[in-house]
Amino acid sequence: MNITDKEVKEITARVIAALEDREDSGEKQSDKNELDATDYPLYKKHPEKVVTPTGKTLEDINLENVLKQKVQPQDFRITPQTLKMQGEIAKNAGRPAIQNNLQRASELTNVPDARLLEMYNALRPYRSSKQELLEIAAELNDKYQAPICSNWFKEAAENYEQAHKLKGDN
Amino acid sequence: MKRQKRFEKLEKRPVHLDGLVQEWDDEGFVALNSKNDPAPSIKVEDGQIVELDGKKQEDFDLIDKYIAEYGIDATQAPKTMKMSAVQIANMLCDPNVPRKKLIKIANGLTPAKAEAVISEMNFAEMIMATQKMRPRKTPMNQCHITNTLDNPVQLAADAAEAAARGFAEQETTPAIARYAPLNAISILVGSQSSRPGVLTQCSVEEAEELSLSMRGFTSYAETISVYGTDEVFTDGDDTPWSKGFLASCYASRGAKMRFTSGAGSEALMGNTEGKSMLYLEARCIYLTKATGVQGLQNGGVACIGIPGSVPGGIREVMGENLLCMMMDLECASGNDQAFSHSDIRRTERMMGQFIAGTDFISSGYAAEENKDNTFAGSNMDALDYDDYLAMERDLVVNGGIMPLDEQKAIKVRNQGARAIQAVFKGLDLPEITDEEVEAATYASSSDDLPKRDMVQDMKGAKDLLDRGVTVVDIIKALNEGGLSEVADSVLHLAEQKITGDYLQTSAVFGKDWNCISAINDNNDYEGPGTGYRLWQDQEKWKKIKDISWAVDPQNMKDYMN
Amino acid sequence: MSQKINKQLVDQIVRNVIENTSETDQAILFNKEEKPQSSDGQQISAENQVKNFTPENDPNFKQLDWFEHVGTVKPGREKEEVVIAVSPAFAEVFRKTLTGLLHWDVLRQLTAGIEEEGLKYRVIKIYRTSDVSFCASEADQISGSGISIAIQSKGTTIIHQKDQEPLDNLELFPQAPVLTLETYRAIGRNAARYAKGMSPDPVPTVNDMMARVQYQPLSGLMHIQETRRVQTGKDAEEICLKLD
Repeated sequence: MNITDKEVKEITARVIAALEDREDSGEKQSDKNELDATDYPLYKKHPEKVVTPTGKTLEDINLENVLKQKVQPQDFRITPQTLKMQGEIAKNAGRPAIQNNLQRASELTNVPDARLLEMYNALRPYRSSKQELLEIAAELNDKYQAPICSNWFKEAAENYEQAHKLKGDN
Repeated sequence: MKRQKRFEKLEKRPVHLDGLVQEWDDEGFVALNSKNDPAPSIKVEDGQIVELDGKKQEDFDLIDKYIAEYGIDATQAPKTMKMSAVQIANMLCDPNVPRKKLIKIANGLTPAKAEAVISEMNFAEMIMATQKMRPRKTPMNQCHITNTLDNPVQLAADAAEAAARGFAEQETTPAIARYAPLNAISILVGSQSSRPGVLTQCSVEEAEELSLSMRGFTSYAETISVYGTDEVFTDGDDTPWSKGFLASCYASRGAKMRFTSGAGSEALMGNTEGKSMLYLEARCIYLTKATGVQGLQNGGVACIGIPGSVPGGIREVMGENLLCMMMDLECASGNDQAFSHSDIRRTERMMGQFIAGTDFISSGYAAEENKDNTFAGSNMDALDYDDYLAMERDLVVNGGIMPLDEQKAIKVRNQGARAIQAVFKGLDLPEITDEEVEAATYASSSDDLPKRDMVQDMKGAKDLLDRGVTVVDIIKALNEGGLSEVADSVLHLAEQKITGDYLQTSAVFGKDWNCISAINDNNDYEGPGTGYRLWQDQEKWKKIKDISWAVDPQNMKDYMN
Repeated sequence: MSQKINKQLVDQIVRNVIENTSETDQAILFNKEEKPQSSDGQQISAENQVKNFTPENDPNFKQLDWFEHVGTVKPGREKEEVVIAVSPAFAEVFRKTLTGLLHWDVLRQLTAGIEEEGLKYRVIKIYRTSDVSFCASEADQISGSGISIAIQSKGTTIIHQKDQEPLDNLELFPQAPVLTLETYRAIGRNAARYAKGMSPDPVPTVNDMMARVQYQPLSGLMHIQETRRVQTGKDAEEICLKLD
């Protein structure tokens, strides 16, 4: 391997910078525009940031409004915006995988319950043909603007084909 | 042979009824280091993992693919993999190495390397490491609420009592699958009538479980099982991709969930590929991490008899709990299944998790008599409460169960039973009589209750689903029944699905809907003087000290005038 | 990091690292001691593990007079039937359940229970899976009534209905050790009642939490043997029972 002294010096400088950086912050500083542990829990610290899918505030969620039918079952749902905030909090606490899951989840908030259950069942082994999985992928993308979940189905379709988990493979 | 008398007596001891077997590597009857386990290896090209634990990318099975794609930090992996297993094991039980640093290192382990690290540690070192690595600072506990007759009044009363005893989460499962919605509702209202904020779940078939959550009958889910071999995963009627999607489905409805795995499930389901329990469990833990699920129930769990039957099995179980926490996942650490005929051995079973403290020491302490436990019996049950409290008091350990005096128990059991009575009335379900409420208030097991017409209850359960009943109807029914406070608590619990605070790692609710999780109660253990200490949690310690049958030296009322 | 960073030291470390690193990432294999070996020093791979048995090469397979194979299964037309699915090793490899009940006796009780309710039974042998739920869901697809019972060699039993997810059930008897011949008769009876559109009281079972402790390892071993008799892609076969 041919590496010049100059290159070694450069690398050394970078290593030192990285070490000093780590020393300073302990952990990576989160983007100031993003939420982090200091904003948590939202229910206590930022109730004003949380709304229901029909635009109600947390203050509106009370017994009186339930009894008056002003609050409906669909109000007890999380919105993509709230999932995004929780995703930022998770990521900034060092858990990017949770943020990824919450991103997928935020895409699914608009899929009706019954359809979501059908989609899950279709993804179970030996339930669907490759074509059927790709159709759901298209539906997720086109009807529900859910590109990440759409890719999830495409990826599954490929993998199920190779691993023989499609309809009729058992 | 002429029998030796001491040996004859020993053979009659309960431990001789326990099923123990010799190791059998090729069918996975081995705790760790099966001769078939792969050697750790990783190869990264352009940020992609192209070789994992001796397997080339083109030979990856579904689980390998999923882990390689989502579960391992490909940047960290080459660094971590250069460290020796002993070195990482050392750092784990060294209080001077902070948790955060170890999480970073662990993100770059492969399943086989993780197995190698755990294999270096003895049981005491695992306890040391666990008290540092669990995500939430305050240890807690979870219970089972079940009975063999699926009696809703008894369920609600037991849920109320267990809530008052401090369990942060409650899990039910029906004896008859069709009862599921009634069980879910019973423990929901029972728990909230006693201590608002307890989380409840109902373990049933995956799609149905999600449907119960969508209706608001449950606030979290746990029995979302993952397995360490493709074949067994398929027998569990899922793939990594379907389970991953299911995880996102729960989060999309604002509900907390964790996966479930545990040593022995693959051996019990007949397909281990000859790998050890710890190696297969490591794969499950990586799958969970890869999915972005906040936590995992592991530690033998329902299959505890399998690791429990082989040499070193209970050490392996502690090791898999530890590995779960090293991956920064909430750990509900097993201790939830009948494990041994021997009281000594079943105490041994929970000792590690109990002393170290975990997010949920038991992932199902039977809060009913074990004969009513429809998970086929737990390691400890309602009749062990006082032994457990004495152990907490002896060792100054917060095991997640608090003392409860009889008068308070009677009061909260009655409240719970009344709450479900009101809900059944409001939802047009078969009547719950005052006689049943009274019986449940004073009952210890379902034998103490009048029998219900189970066929009518099941018809009611089906009808409830057909009518599209949701948590909103339950809130209204409670209010109609004059229980507006309970209605308000159920409402606030449902409201938590809007804020998503309890989607974060290790989240539970404290007083006044204060969400406590690894975000705002992160474990900062770094040796003596740090981390959770029961004696600094003064309110709880005072309660545990004041055990009901302790003699007050200033007032020996049985002896003095 | 409390001590001051020493530039020379870092420089030296970087040089060492570079010297020890080749152009591309290589598989990092740990020293050989970490690779588990069998006693004779041979490395073992999954390939040389035991393959699944077929009746032809199965040392424990026994052809039985009372359990006659009469061809591939066909969908039932009669609504008046319950299909009993037995797992791959049932009767012909294993002869007893976990607690020692003879498979012959168990089948006699299940079928008698169905007949008591005035219905017919068909017995089929499943090969695709050893899982009790999947055995049942394969069977209810061809059951005229949509109701099936499935039983594994170890004795675990389920009653299943056509429109249910595989892992759902009408009644599940997961604890083989507590099942008696009377229980099996009641299971047959209840399955027939479901087939008639009734809603019977579920079969009562004893909850013996210690049964699992005692039998779980043995149950695992039996299931492993059962799973070795699975034949992927093989259709279920109709069985003609001669129990008298």
